[in-house]
This record gives sequence, structure tokens and C-alpha cells, in this order.
Amino acid sequence: MEHYIILARSVTYAQRMQKSLSRAGVRCQIFRPPRDLTDLGCAYAVRVAVSVLPEVLTALHRDGLNPVQIFLYQQGQYQEVEA
Amino acid sequence: MIYFDSAATSFQKPASVAAAMWEALASMSSPGRGGYPAAARAADTAFQCRTELADMFGLENPEQVVFTLNATHALNIAIKSLVPPGGKAVVSGYEHNAVTRPLEALKAKISVAAAPLFEPEAVTAAFARLITPDTHAVICSHVSNVFGFIQPVEEIAKLCRSRGVPFIIDASQSAGTLPLNMKALGAAFAAMPGHKGLYGPQGTGVLLCGEEIATRTLLEGGTGSRSIQQQMPDFLPDRLEAGTLNMPGIAGLLAGIRYVHRGGIDKILDHEKHLAKLTIQGLEGLPNLRIYASPALRNQAGVLSLTARGLDVETIGSALAERGIAVRAGIQCAPYAHRTAGTLETGTVRISFSDFNTTEEVARLLRAIRGVLGRSF
Repeated sequence: MEHYIILARSVTYAQRMQKSLSRAGVRCQIFRPPRDLTDLGCAYAVRVAVSVLPEVLTALHRDGLNPVQIFLYQQGQYQEVEA
Repeated sequence: MIYFDSAATSFQKPASVAAAMWEALASMSSPGRGGYPAAARAADTAFQCRTELADMFGLENPEQVVFTLNATHALNIAIKSLVPPGGKAVVSGYEHNAVTRPLEALKAKISVAAAPLFEPEAVTAAFARLITPDTHAVICSHVSNVFGFIQPVEEIAKLCRSRGVPFIIDASQSAGTLPLNMKALGAAFAAMPGHKGLYGPQGTGVLLCGEEIATRTLLEGGTGSRSIQQQMPDFLPDRLEAGTLNMPGIAGLLAGIRYVHRGGIDKILDHEKHLAKLTIQGLEGLPNLRIYASPALRNQAGVLSLTARGLDVETIGSALAERGIAVRAGIQCAPYAHRTAGTLETGTVRISFSDFNTTEEVARLLRAIRGVLGRSF
């Protein structure tokens, strides 16, 4: 199923993102992204539905939270997208 | 045992603390080390604890809350982040060895803002005289661990802000009984134990970090983030939390914080001061006894020191222990405080209260002290 994943620098940062999105009424899950999406090793990310990306970006921006990278998962593949 | 040594460690804890620790042992692994449920539960608990600590101490960002082993560990990080070897630090006259020994290890030039007990204006004036633009850090205990003296950290913070000098607060004796707002104070760091007034277990401590303060690591190792990089991450809390977190401790600390929050820090302080007042009233007039207390306990928290002329403090402490009462006698790891107060030669007997002490326990303490002193004179 298509979704976006938003990479965070740490598990705590991912939790801040989750809290920010929850306040904005956006459901998300924290998870460990595939190894080949990060060249720095272990990472955490939040996964959100494709339809809510604008709300997600607005909420994160409002709370001063900066994703490391954003990927679109589509047809079994990840593609980086501009924040 | 009747326990009056909460300035060292609060011995009686809320039942919820042990329950939370047991639950953590049974259900949590380590935050940041996986995506499976046990790791996620640990991460949730750690984040909740950071968030509630941030709320309690006026920080907006829970990433600025770093878990440590104890307040000493937190103070070492704070001091060694700010004071270079041979650097210059100004400290109050009531500091603990957790502050002064790291400074000695750095061969820092230590200026002591010494002032008489229970005179906060004199403390502020002493700091004002000593803080100069080349001071690397000002360090002050919020409450003296020996005498319960509440030091004027708000005024000292104001001085530091006006002179552009970083301020470190040792909140070891105040966390859980006095309000502390990092944002309002503009402090660089505040260090505190989890196991005293926050009613968490031993082995827990907290370092609150001000915004955009560069930190120096004491330990390097795994953080569960940026694992390929061979330098510690440059972001908090990971930078200062190498290795596996003490999840049972953090879960217990979270339960302790919630206990304090439910009870209200004002009420806890009032209760402790009430017991201190009863103690003072019950001992007043006893010959040869000196109690170190401010009038009406102004500028004093729930910690009392006393000495008895002609009777060694350790003898008093041991005699009380024989009667089932736990107090702390000696120098209490704070020679600077004793030097300032003029009690370095004798030390003191310290009586410190917690929310769990009762008036009945104080009555037994008073009878025991009278018995010890009566037997000796």
C-alpha cells in the first residue's frame, strides 16, 4: 500500500514528530526504515498515508521539526521526494 | 526504621514506583534498539518521562532531557561541557563534592561566593562580586544538602544572563519540592537525581540542557542512531546517552514524577517544612544543642542540621541508629558548605524529611534525641 515515510534523526525525534502529528489529527506509526534508505545506519521514521502529506508537512513545520528525508513507497519501491 | 535521610535518597517510595519498575522488567527492552513491541514500549516510556520532566521544569523540547546515572553524573557532564582544564568557575559556598571534585579534577580556578547561612541577599552580592566576563561557568546548588538553605538561583541566573556567563544549577535537593523553570532562568544546565525528591529509584538522574548549549560527552558508545558514524551524534539526548538506558529506573522515575505531580510540590514542601518546624520546636532550649535554622524556616527547605557541644556527631548518629532512626552524620560530602558555615571541624547531624514522614515519627525522633543527649550530659 502506498505511503510516505519521514526519516527522523533518532527515536526521540520520531516520537516528537508523532506527537506533533497526533496534535494535528494525523495518524502515523513509528518504525525502522529499510537499511538502504539511510547511509548513516540505524534510524527511525514515521509512516503516514499518502493523502495527508500536506497536513503532515504543515504540522512538522509549525513545531519546528525537520525530517532528514522523505520517501514515497509505491509499487514496492522507495523514491525520495522533496520536503 | 524511621527514616530521616531523604536528602541522600528518599527511602520510602510510592507503591506505583515499584510496580512500574516490575512492569518495565517484564515488558520492556531498550529504546532505539528495534521496532518490536518491547523496544517500542521502552521508547514510549522513556519519551513520556522526558516529556513530563520537560513540562515540570520549563523546557519545551523533551530532547533536552538527558537520563543519567545520578546527579553527580549529570553535573560532571555539565561542568566538563563548560569549564575547560584550568578554566574559571564561580561556585556558591554551599556546594557538594559532586560540583567541586570535577572542578578540582579540571584544575579549575574556583572562586567561592561564600555568604552566611540563610542570607540570600549576601549570596547574590558575593556572586555579583566574583562573576567576570572570563568566567566559564557559575554553579550553584538550589538548596544546600547540609543546611537546607534555599539559595537565590533566580537572582544568580539574572546576574549570569546580564554578564553572558553560563549557569549550572544543582537541583539535587530541590527537584520535587521547589519550582524550577529552565526557560525563565535561561540556565545552561540543571542537574538532579531521580532518587530523592522525585521519588524514583536509585540509579536514576537527569540533566536538563538549555537550548543550543554545546555538550561534551563523558561516555561514547551505542545510541541506536547514526550507527555507521564513528563520532557520537551531535544531537540530544543521544549525544549524552551512550549505552543501554536503565528502563526499570526510568519507568520508576516516571511513576515518581507523577506522584509528585499529583501531590503538588507546594504541598510536599509545606509538609516537610511543617515537620522541620515541629523538630525545631521540640528541640529548642535543650542545653548544648545548636540547630541550624532560619527564623520561621524562611529560605530553608526540609533539611536541618544540628550539633551538640561535647558530643561527636557520629556518636549521635550511631545512638539514633540504635534506636531505629536513620539520620546522616558527618560532612555529608560537602566540605565547602561546612567551611562556609563554620562546622567543618565538627560536622553536623542532618535530619531530612520526605513526603512519607509523619508527625508521629518526628515525636519519636525528638524523644530519641532527648534520650541521647540526656544520657551523655
